Amino acid sequence: MNSSELRRAACAYLGCRGEVPEELFALVDGCMEEARSLAHFRAVAREYTAPLPFLRQEPYAGFLAGCSGYALVAMTLGAEAERRVRALMTLDPARAVVLDACASALVECEADAWEECLGPARTYRFCPGYGGSDVADNAYIFRELDPSRIGMQLLPSGMIAPQKSMAGIVGLGKRAHRTCENCMAAAGCIYKKEGRTCYPEKGC
Amino acid sequence: MLSGKGLLIFDGGMGSEFERMGLEGDPVELNVTHPEQVRAVHRAYVQAGADVITANSFGLNRIKYRGEYPLERLVRAAVENARSAGREVFFDVGPTGALLAPVGTLTFDEAYEAYAEIARLTSDMVGGYIAETFSDLYELKACVLALKECSDKPVYATVTFDRTGRTLTGSTPEIVALLLEGLGVDALGVNCSLGPAELFPLVQRMLAVTDLPVIVQPNRGLPVWREGRTQYDLSDEEFARWAEKYAQAGVAVLGGCCGTTPETIRRIAHLKGREVPARSVPRVTQVCSATQLVAMDGVRICGERLNPTGKPKLRDALREGNADYLVAEALRQEEAGADLLDLNVGVPGLDEPAVMQRAVLAVQESCALPLQLDSSDAAALEAGARYYNGIPLLNSVNGEEAVMARVFPVAKKYGAVVLGLTMDDGGVPRTARERAVIAQRIIERAAQYGIPRHRVMIDTLVLTASAEQPLVGETLGALSLVRGMGVNTALGVSNVSFGLPARALLNRTFLVMALSHGLNMPILNPLDAEMTGAVRAFDVLANADRGAARYIELYKDMQPAAGAANAAGAARTAEAPPVKNLYESVLRGLAGEAASFAAAELAQHAPLEVVNGTLIPALNEVGALYAQGKLFLPQLISCAEAAKAAFAVVGEKFGKDANVRGKIVLATVKGDVHDIGKNIVKVVAQSHGYTVVDLGKDVAKERVVEAALREKPLVVGLSALMTTTVKSMEETIAALRAAGCTAPIYVGGAVLNAQIARTIGADGYTPDAPSFVAALDALSARRG
Repeated sequence: MNSSELRRAACAYLGCRGEVPEELFALVDGCMEEARSLAHFRAVAREYTAPLPFLRQEPYAGFLAGCSGYALVAMTLGAEAERRVRALMTLDPARAVVLDACASALVECEADAWEECLGPARTYRFCPGYGGSDVADNAYIFRELDPSRIGMQLLPSGMIAPQKSMAGIVGLGKRAHRTCENCMAAAGCIYKKEGRTCYPEKGC
Repeated sequence: MLSGKGLLIFDGGMGSEFERMGLEGDPVELNVTHPEQVRAVHRAYVQAGADVITANSFGLNRIKYRGEYPLERLVRAAVENARSAGREVFFDVGPTGALLAPVGTLTFDEAYEAYAEIARLTSDMVGGYIAETFSDLYELKACVLALKECSDKPVYATVTFDRTGRTLTGSTPEIVALLLEGLGVDALGVNCSLGPAELFPLVQRMLAVTDLPVIVQPNRGLPVWREGRTQYDLSDEEFARWAEKYAQAGVAVLGGCCGTTPETIRRIAHLKGREVPARSVPRVTQVCSATQLVAMDGVRICGERLNPTGKPKLRDALREGNADYLVAEALRQEEAGADLLDLNVGVPGLDEPAVMQRAVLAVQESCALPLQLDSSDAAALEAGARYYNGIPLLNSVNGEEAVMARVFPVAKKYGAVVLGLTMDDGGVPRTARERAVIAQRIIERAAQYGIPRHRVMIDTLVLTASAEQPLVGETLGALSLVRGMGVNTALGVSNVSFGLPARALLNRTFLVMALSHGLNMPILNPLDAEMTGAVRAFDVLANADRGAARYIELYKDMQPAAGAANAAGAARTAEAPPVKNLYESVLRGLAGEAASFAAAELAQHAPLEVVNGTLIPALNEVGALYAQGKLFLPQLISCAEAAKAAFAVVGEKFGKDANVRGKIVLATVKGDVHDIGKNIVKVVAQSHGYTVVDLGKDVAKERVVEAALREKPLVVGLSALMTTTVKSMEETIAALRAAGCTAPIYVGGAVLNAQIARTIGADGYTPDAPSFVAALDALSARRG
């Protein structure tokens, strides 16, 4: 993993724009190291050829058009980083928010790296909640994969616990990259307004 | 059923058999929809040679099972199907699939209740329980307590480990084995997880720390993803070879998990009845949290600062339910090198058991150190021990029969270590020998309650040198006598100097003397670097810190002229550029400097002048720089922390109950567990002098209403991250209105905007912490 890309992603989560002071970089680097030491990345996935009923509707149908199959994925960094962020919030809240951002960047990065095992011809990860889809669709993914065995739970509110976790769909047999157009937060996105993205444009 | 029968054979996996039969759907529902096929699988395992059949009931509890059948019907069907095979039946109890708070929202009591329901439904029908595939020891503790309290049948408990050799929640094989042993299970071990080869070293580690029967039910090797499904490739022959090794190593119960079949069990059935080799387990006094085991095999520092005696701020925090204060104090001690922490919540007028329970939950969520629960109230000790995710040290009993009769049953039930004080109805004896007699009595009485010697520690009690100078030596002499009994010792060392000048000097000297006499666990202030330094130095000289590795690591940068207290952090101060005043300290986010400058300004100005003349303008500039993108979130928070430190100093001038700028109630609404945004708002609001009543996350609307009516805040602030929890926010607002709350309600969170805020009935929406504070300032000004 490229550490400068990871650092950039963490800074983006912190809303940093323009010139970032060196001391903040140092804090981010220290927290990234801590996030790595706390991370226990785990993933479960399953490949399919026939679409499950919920994937026959938009926006999933469009997302998977042209794919030969797809994989459902559920991944988590575990709860350690989250626990540490909570603890630090009482002692050193500035460090807590930076660690939180580092863990967010790290789980995305680990997930991207893990997905390489699905082969080069694949799309980006489309998570329920993106592009007008319903976050409640996570329930279908959880039903298929039962990621409780890697310590993930879908809460009744539709949230996933631990926080640094994600569930999604990766199209197979077709290449497609992430864009702002399929992001749930695109409408009010401050990065988009500034012509930037919230994630590393290349993987890390 | 284990005694005298030799090695016991359990059955193997159900899922692979159902799959082979072409049965789909929720396996527990097959008990009702396809009972004949389920019975056929059970029969096949009996024919293969299994002594015990586990009911097809994995995951059958009210939290995990959400299907169409009544729970009781499935439970009964599962047991009847298993019993039809004509063997002893164990009910298979699996996890709820839900994560316990604070990562998830499930409470310990909810988990307990789900398992208690299962025990009540089945106790008369089964021969025992096997709680298996648990990956969170805390949930397993709730399960074991429920099964043992609601049934008198044997309880076996097994967990899963991953390749790191820990459970998903970070517990090691030793921690799992010791905690389960303490809870009084009948057998413990491992199932699922990995294949027999990968599990073997983990099982060996369990065998090395417990003499309870160990049960192992591995998968048939590591899973392989092939042809669209999980497959297991290890041959039954290879599985059987490993079974032989397990039997030789001392495992008492063998069976199989995922991928194993009746054929797998047939291959290991010849081990049935084989004599289980006896093993001698060296016993050490050990306490643990869920992730850290602390053995009293050297000097271990017990941090004393979570005790309200003489600490008015901690007392206030306990009165106000301010968990953050406790957590921060715990973490400071952890960072300073404590090995475990004393937790005492005794404040007159408070419900001590309830406060102890809350304090244990709060501290264990954030701090990994084991806890010493400190109370003279046995009910408080029990509340703490029950909810503690680990093996606690209970402080304390003494030689009084009545006290031992109250505390020992608690220690026995929860597997705690007990600290015994060498005093009784007659007070503290003067001589070492008399104290040793009491220690002996405590140890013997503990044994009668089923508490072995290694789960007892003795405090030989420090009296002050100013009042009882000759008795200092008796305390030390008693340490040696107790150690001679093979029991570990503890002392609250700093009592010795009470009433004399230069207490630190006496404390440090006494500490070293006590360590030389065999003190294992000094209870002291770990933030006192001279005291922890003395322990680290002692470890070198006593040949405990081999090669002085730890000592060198800690003190390699210490300057000859500086004391140990100055060693840490010296580099940081050297690099810090100077700031000239309070305004600059806040702007640069330097909390220590901000506090010092605030004190200096207060010498010349009235408190309100300092607030309005310096702090608020500085914070306004911080807010403006943040809005312009010239300061970023971490810097904003550092500035807020600096201002908060200054406000704390100013607040002291206002008096204890000063509410400098008004109070706000904050909560992340029910169902929502993402609270970092709310926490940022809290820090920034506090930095502006507002008092924050933080209700936390996943907060029921009733609690918000109750707090709003009680606190009469300037504003109620609610946060929600997702569209799904905005609904919960709307309900909370409606409940506040219905209850007559007149405070304005402000909302924030990723999916909200001003329009949604209006729609759900909020009075205001703010996109970030500075704008929330600006809104507070405006309201505050209007209120005058």
